[in-house]
Amino acid sequence: MSTKESKPTISRRDFLKLSGVAGATVAFLGSLPQAQNVLAKVQVEGGNFEAKPENQLYTVCLQCNTGCGIKVKILEGMAAKIDGNPYSPWTLWPHIPYETPVKEVATLEGAICPKGQAGIQTAYDPYRIVSVLKRKPGTKRGEGKWITIPFDQAIREIVEGGDLFGEGHVDGLRAVRALTDTEVAAKMAAAVKAIWGEKDSAKKKELVKKFQEDFKDYLDALIDPEHPDLGPKNNQFMFVWGRMKGGREDFTHRFFQEAFGTINMNGHTTICQGSLYFTGKAMSAKWNPATGSFDSGDKFYWQVDTANSEFVIYVGVNLFDSNYGPPQRVPKATEAIVSGRKFAVIDPRMSKLAAKAWKWVPIKPGQDIAFALGMIRWMLENGRYNADYLAIANKAAADAAGEPNYTNATWLVKIKDGVPEKHLRASEIGLVEKVTETNADGKEVTVYVTPDGTRFTSDVPVILVNGQPVAFDPVDPKAAPVVGDLLFSGKIGDFEVKTGLQILLESAQEHTLAEWAEIAGVAENDIIEIAAEFTSHGRKAAADIHRGPSQHTNGFYNNNAWYVVNLLIGNFDYKGGVIKASTYDRKGGKPGQPFPVDKMFGDHHFTAFGLDMLRTKTTYEKSTLFDGTYPTKRPWFPIATDIYQEDIPSIGDAYPYPIKVLMTYMSALPYSVPGGQKIIEILADTKKVPLHIACDIMIGETSMYADYIFPDLSYLERWEFHGSHPSVPWKVENVRQPVISIPGWPTVKVFGEEIPMSYEALLLAIAEQLELPGFGPNGFGEGKPLTRPEHFYLKQVANIAFGEKEDGSDAVPEADDEELEFFRAARRHLPKSFFDEEVWKATVGDESLWRRVVYVLNRGGRYEAFEKGYKGDKVAHPYGRLVNLYQEKTATLINTMTGKPFVGYLKYISPALSSTGEEIQSDGYDLHLLTYKTITMAKARGISNYWTLAVLPEGYLYMNSRDAQRLGLRDGDLVRIVSASNPEGVYDLQNGKKHPIVGRVKVIEGIRPGVVAFPLGFGHWASGAADVEIDGKIVKGDPRRAVPLMANGAMQLDPVLGNSPLTDIVGGSAVFYDSKVRVEKV
Amino acid sequence: MTEANLLEKYASEVFAGLVAPVAEGLEISALSAEDLPAKEDALVRMERELKRALEKPVSERRWVMVIDLRRCVGCNACTVACVAENKLPPGVVYRPVITEEIGTYPNVTMRFLPRPCMQCDKPPCTEVCPVTATYKNEEGIVVIDYEQCIGCRACMAACPYGARTFDFGYYYLEQLPVLDETIVGMETASGYEHASQEYGRAWKREKRHDSPIGNVRKCHFCLHRIKDGILPACVTTCIGRATYFGDANDPDSLVSELISQPNVIRLKEELGTEPRVYYIV
Amino acid sequence: MIKKISYAVGVLALLFGLWGVYVRLFEGEQSANYGSYISWGLWVAIYLFLAGVSAGAYMLATFDYLFNVPQFKGTGKTMLWASLVTLPAGLASIGMDLGHMERIWKVYLQPNFTSFLALMVWGYTIFLILIAISLYLAIKAPEKAALKAVMWIGFVVSILVAGGVGFLLGGNAARMYWHVGLLPVQFPVFAIASGAALMLLLVGWFMPSLDGKQRGDLLWLLAIISIATSVAKLYFLLADFTQSLYGGAVDNVIAVQSVLTGPYRFSFWVVQIVIGLLIPLLVLPQPKLAKNGFVAGLMGLFLLIGYVAARILIVVPGQIPEMMPGQAEVFHGPKLSLAYTPSLMEWSVTSAVLGFAILGILIGMDYLLDYLTRVMEAKK
Ligand SMILES: Nc1nc2c(c(=O)[nH]1)N[C@H]1C(S)=C(S)[C@@H](COP(=O)(O)OP(=O)(O)OC[C@H]3O[C@@H](n4cnc5c(=O)[nH]c(N)nc54)[C@H](O)[C@@H]3O)O[C@H]1N2
Ligand SMILES: Nc1nc2c(c(=O)[nH]1)N[C@H]1C(S)=C(S)[C@@H](COP(=O)(O)OP(=O)(O)OC[C@H]3O[C@@H](n4cnc5c(=O)[nH]c(N)nc54)[C@H](O)[C@@H]3O)O[C@H]1N2
Ligand code: SF4
Ligand code: SF4
Ligand code: SF4
Ligand code: SF4
Ligand code: SF4
Ligand SMILES: [Mo]
Repeated sequence: MSTKESKPTISRRDFLKLSGVAGATVAFLGSLPQAQNVLAKVQVEGGNFEAKPENQLYTVCLQCNTGCGIKVKILEGMAAKIDGNPYSPWTLWPHIPYETPVKEVATLEGAICPKGQAGIQTAYDPYRIVSVLKRKPGTKRGEGKWITIPFDQAIREIVEGGDLFGEGHVDGLRAVRALTDTEVAAKMAAAVKAIWGEKDSAKKKELVKKFQEDFKDYLDALIDPEHPDLGPKNNQFMFVWGRMKGGREDFTHRFFQEAFGTINMNGHTTICQGSLYFTGKAMSAKWNPATGSFDSGDKFYWQVDTANSEFVIYVGVNLFDSNYGPPQRVPKATEAIVSGRKFAVIDPRMSKLAAKAWKWVPIKPGQDIAFALGMIRWMLENGRYNADYLAIANKAAADAAGEPNYTNATWLVKIKDGVPEKHLRASEIGLVEKVTETNADGKEVTVYVTPDGTRFTSDVPVILVNGQPVAFDPVDPKAAPVVGDLLFSGKIGDFEVKTGLQILLESAQEHTLAEWAEIAGVAENDIIEIAAEFTSHGRKAAADIHRGPSQHTNGFYNNNAWYVVNLLIGNFDYKGGVIKASTYDRKGGKPGQPFPVDKMFGDHHFTAFGLDMLRTKTTYEKSTLFDGTYPTKRPWFPIATDIYQEDIPSIGDAYPYPIKVLMTYMSALPYSVPGGQKIIEILADTKKVPLHIACDIMIGETSMYADYIFPDLSYLERWEFHGSHPSVPWKVENVRQPVISIPGWPTVKVFGEEIPMSYEALLLAIAEQLELPGFGPNGFGEGKPLTRPEHFYLKQVANIAFGEKEDGSDAVPEADDEELEFFRAARRHLPKSFFDEEVWKATVGDESLWRRVVYVLNRGGRYEAFEKGYKGDKVAHPYGRLVNLYQEKTATLINTMTGKPFVGYLKYISPALSSTGEEIQSDGYDLHLLTYKTITMAKARGISNYWTLAVLPEGYLYMNSRDAQRLGLRDGDLVRIVSASNPEGVYDLQNGKKHPIVGRVKVIEGIRPGVVAFPLGFGHWASGAADVEIDGKIVKGDPRRAVPLMANGAMQLDPVLGNSPLTDIVGGSAVFYDSKVRVEKV
Repeated sequence: MTEANLLEKYASEVFAGLVAPVAEGLEISALSAEDLPAKEDALVRMERELKRALEKPVSERRWVMVIDLRRCVGCNACTVACVAENKLPPGVVYRPVITEEIGTYPNVTMRFLPRPCMQCDKPPCTEVCPVTATYKNEEGIVVIDYEQCIGCRACMAACPYGARTFDFGYYYLEQLPVLDETIVGMETASGYEHASQEYGRAWKREKRHDSPIGNVRKCHFCLHRIKDGILPACVTTCIGRATYFGDANDPDSLVSELISQPNVIRLKEELGTEPRVYYIV
Repeated sequence: MIKKISYAVGVLALLFGLWGVYVRLFEGEQSANYGSYISWGLWVAIYLFLAGVSAGAYMLATFDYLFNVPQFKGTGKTMLWASLVTLPAGLASIGMDLGHMERIWKVYLQPNFTSFLALMVWGYTIFLILIAISLYLAIKAPEKAALKAVMWIGFVVSILVAGGVGFLLGGNAARMYWHVGLLPVQFPVFAIASGAALMLLLVGWFMPSLDGKQRGDLLWLLAIISIATSVAKLYFLLADFTQSLYGGAVDNVIAVQSVLTGPYRFSFWVVQIVIGLLIPLLVLPQPKLAKNGFVAGLMGLFLLIGYVAARILIVVPGQIPEMMPGQAEVFHGPKLSLAYTPSLMEWSVTSAVLGFAILGILIGMDYLLDYLTRVMEAKK
């Protein structure tokens, strides 16, 4: 391993000379005759470079997470303009046929948002780092003093450790990876699984003893032999990422879990839509016919089929400024506007969407659940719901009725002391008899048999048909179709039972419509009018929800409420209803696909095991840490995962165990998380975080607290598979690929290969140094190398190109010679380390498959034909199974902060509660702080885009004129934002500097009085906003990047936990919208 | 309604047949062809029509732009696309989107008004130019010959739509650190700022006095794109599909259809400037 | 004494000015405060002012050579000279305002005659030549008919160009504030007025050569002209403003308010009204004061200062109302501001221009004219 120290000393002008069409281009293409022809054509024709396919590359935007297909136009080797990719359903509606030849779309482009247009400024950001930075020994974390060191030395230091900063010894990754034997790891993993599976505490203890004996030679490799279920020391290497998409995600998983062997790798889900995903997970819990219980559902969520809805209720959805995303959803919404289709917007703030709405309802923050319950009561009591759909109790009946899915609205639920618990099981009222018999191949099996001989593989639930209890098979399509009574409350056998819908009805009847309106801070009429309109369009109406309802302490139930509203009209999987995303399998999991990359391992892969830092891999009660007492030091999360706001505070509290090495990737934790100042405290503390490695494109809000920063490639230079979003009905995969390389971008040598400095280079180099399985010359198996990023990603592209039919009938066409020419010509500016046709072709192997790969790359992804998105009045790729109106699984899980079980059905739960369910005290703080996204800014990342800053150069605090009057504030006044959690109104950067939470007021009408809001993206203290020192030279910060306002630091902390924001313990959401603040003129 | 009669109500419904999933109070709208959304994206249609127009002699084309204010969501994609397309420096803008909040809480709304150059047929801006550097060209588009312009700004004062801004020679990346060895640095990063292709030629704009520095600049309907059959940048990137472009002399063109509607207006008609930009309200 | 001070002022002005000129020429216009919304600033105003002074000075020269007004006897040469100096100074001021002044030749070789700017450049160039010829003849053969002939032409042209400048602004339908008041009519009057003011200054301070009686009478006459024109100006002002405010056209109201109560209220009330109008109107009607050289000169200076202010307050406020209201809030960047006060660089350049004019006039009066006369005599 040796670095080629090619530093970008080439100035722009030299570079232009180099790469001008006359220069490097032709030289480079000398080897590619056909390409030269294409080029010759360019030269004679002359004219606008923009119009020529050989100057166009298709890839995927990542300015925000919408992932629009883009067409990048290359001029003199640089990205000169970005427009929409017409093949992509994100930018054209309808998108053009996938088979259209690339040269025919050279002059056609789709629509993208202003950030997408400004992407060039993210790639060509002067503040991007090009060398590995090491915290200058003798300086503190966050002090901003760095030295550059060679890549190889950096790898050696982080792997081998030592006295790296003159602060004493630091363990490197080799020391942390205490367990290296993959077979032992697999056995231990199984043993831990057994321990967790054992309910009886005495027997549990014995299993622990047994574990300690079985693995006595390896106990020192464990974090705590007394608690083997904490797993190996390997787990003390924790990886935290902000934004990461498919491909890199798979590469990451391979490295951390299957190669290094740590269980700790977490994304940022919970500061994103958080609970939205986990409400989806809970409502999609799967009935397991073998166990007669529920397996957990999928981490996903539903969105509205924007194009075909006749009426949409947007609840806390910022459709015109953000969401997933403007180019994809806005044209459909504006079409609705001109064609007279109504929509309502429920949002305390008048978003641009609300400005165009039929009705804007400035609701009280967090009370969306009350509004929904009001609607539900009205719908149920007025028969404005789809009874026939809800009555369907199993798959067989759904099929019979031609319904794509069904609910458990009719399944009976046992009530204990008025509290709904589990579903009644057939055996409990003697509907079935449990018999053990020996099956065909002589195995003993238990079956449940009804008097009339119907056999079930497990103890099944019960419904009432005309008052008569009936046992039924929920999932078997060949079972008897059953339709249940919708409402029942009474005794069956010696059980108090109710149907799921009955429970809902009673929940909705907790308050009158007027009371619900009161709670929600809206007019009773708004509820009725919207409910009436909502129920006047059959299945072609829908409620769309996003962060607004989700990022509250009651986020899970807010979301659940609106999904239930949808469920009542049965619009799931319907055109114009709520739908889910679907993508082509890039991992090669389907039979026949060429490269099952997950399973392609050279040596044995490592089985990561044990309890993770976020306490999500098992429940407290199953773990050996369970001592019968509540609350736990920090909450456990039996449903949610990737609880971003918990990562660093858990490290801070060393709960459940301390970590040794933290690696962060594309994350702005201190900036993007509410109460980020607490995160800074911990990150700055070398006792709590002994070693912090970051991978970043600049010195960002997180990486400024790193010990080492490894430069990454920007989204225009790297591979990724962006996937899709639920509002997109078509099956797709967006392929992000290198389209430019920054002049003089450094390359490194890993496994003898010269590859660009990048995230992949970092992981590959560590793998080489530690000789990890699954990487290197035989990484994919004997003679199948994984030594370059392309080795991994092109195989995934091949899977996408091949499609999902075993016989290959689903494959894309082969690129013809002309397309192959364009493919080469358009990459003529890329150095060999980025594009080497021979290498690329070799990793795919087969010529025909290679041409299909080219076909996909030439189009920036794979997109199903427009007509294929729907089948009749339903979507072509339905969710298609049980939707849990009543959540048995949720109801059996414990909130470890209270020791009480979660509520498993839709029940009013108020917002702004602490982790132990206490109300937050905020007397003296009169304003409710909200935040949102503006179209010109993306996350912490937009600040480098000067073109969009020209439109909005600063983030204001928007305030209703009534409040401004009351407080004697005028437009443009500077105010400090203070709260009970941050009375000083500052971020203490732990480097001697304090970053004020101060911004300018904008007085408007379009926001609920008592509520103030600020847009995300401004108020930086890193990312080029402040001076830093590298190798003794000052890199001056840019004042344009330091403009106000970022007020996450004023958001409410959890009073019990102290070092983390309010959190929805059920759904995991970090809470952005339950904070009370006061503004002080400065 | 009491729970009792709720019950019987539903009991009856439960049998209301599985087969046709129709519930009381719900009329399930029948599926029909027009259930499919727009058959063709306006961008695809306009691109085809643009190609058609380019086959006609220049004199027979009449380029117009139509902006549907009902569809405009004030996203500024057009503003930034224009800046990106023409590599406009700080202080120069061709297509701002004027945004205003109207009403008082809770009866509030917003209005968005994109403002390109109106390409007036009676342009007050051209006659004042002492050296005919700005004039209506054969395509009917009011252009500026950067090499001819002496930078007197008379045309700016004369434009009733504020559509002209002056290039004072700024760069977005100027004064940012260079430091090649550790960061990408201004030198390497700033290439794109010199890549303007306005009017179909390169404007490197590297030295202090290189035109268009020292010149007035304005929207030119992306002449350099349309000549090659690409729609103007603000049009292709309009996520609201609020901006349309095409040949008003082509009776079958989308723009012709749109401007023949009654709800079409032009700005400051009273000045007799005869704008070629139409607004649908 | 006054002369020494004046020379000193001229020299200092020029020196301070050189810096601005350097910056403007070699670093461009970034350090100027005019921009894309207020695109014409101090330099354009100074150009209008000096062009007016030049035309006015020429008109007053005709009092000597064409109309033989006794009091003006012997002042013609000086006024022609003043005219000859102030015009180039004015043109220099507007030249500095050009983004590409190196292309100024295009206005001569590729002019667009529908453009008043082009017409003005041509007009003033012709006027400049006429002034030169007039002066030449005045020195060479004051008695010859040739001078009269040329002066007649020059007299007409001076009125035309003075009016023309007015049209430069007034002809602009987009800018109400300029459009309302009949600027083309007003400007010739302003021209005479500023010429008279300049002459008050020159006669009052720098022309002891005239014998006491004539000097007194001349000053009194100039005083009367100044009073008359000042009253006329005041009337125009009232007319414009009331018309604007009553008319209530938003753009106008914005502009007028910026002058009366807005950012420019000081320049207006103190400089233009008090110094430039009231004080002279109080002092000049009193023969004793008016005939006092020092006082008269001072009043001349005040009037000139008033006119400078007046020009700025015509040019700038007219541009404050946004052509598309709200535009300035939706896109941000340098030079996209609706506020304007001249930058130091702008003042510096202007100071160079005025320094040049002051020194030019003084040197001419003290040495050049006599020298030239002697040369001519010698030739005979
Ligand atoms: N421009 C831009 N677009 C983006 C992104 C970006 O960074 N910039 N990021 C992308 C990502 S990662 C995401 S997760 C999505 C987010 O997509 P959205 O969640 O649709 O976007 P936000 O802007 O977070 O909007 C939250 C909205 O909820 C409102 N709100 C706040 N509190 C409440 C409440 O209690 N009730 C209700 N009903 N509404 C409330 C806010 O006023 C705001 O309008 O956007 C994506 N698109
Ligand atoms: N006030 C407020 N806060 C919010 C939100 C809000 O609406 N309002 N929205 C929330 C939402 S929805 C989300 S998703 C989060 C997002 O917040 P995070 O997931 O924490 O990440 P980002 O803000 O996207 O910042 C990513 C960081 O990674 C680095 N980076 C940028 N590009 C690259 C790259 O190409 N490679 C690598 N390796 N690093 C890169 C930069 O340092 C950048 O600061 O923010 C949340 N925070
Ligand atoms: S919406 Fe997001 S992904 Fe799409 S273009 Fe804009 S920034 Fe890029
Ligand atoms: S809008 Fe202004 S610049 Fe454009 S043509 Fe009309 S007058 Fe000229
Ligand atoms: S600025 Fe240029 S284009 Fe405008 S009037 Fe002056 S010379 Fe003509
Ligand atoms: S037509 Fe072209 S130049 Fe004019 S505003 Fe649109 S993008 Fe800008
Ligand atoms: S891009 Fe379209 S929708 Fe967005 S602001 Fe411009 S015109 Fe309006
Ligand atoms: Mo997000």
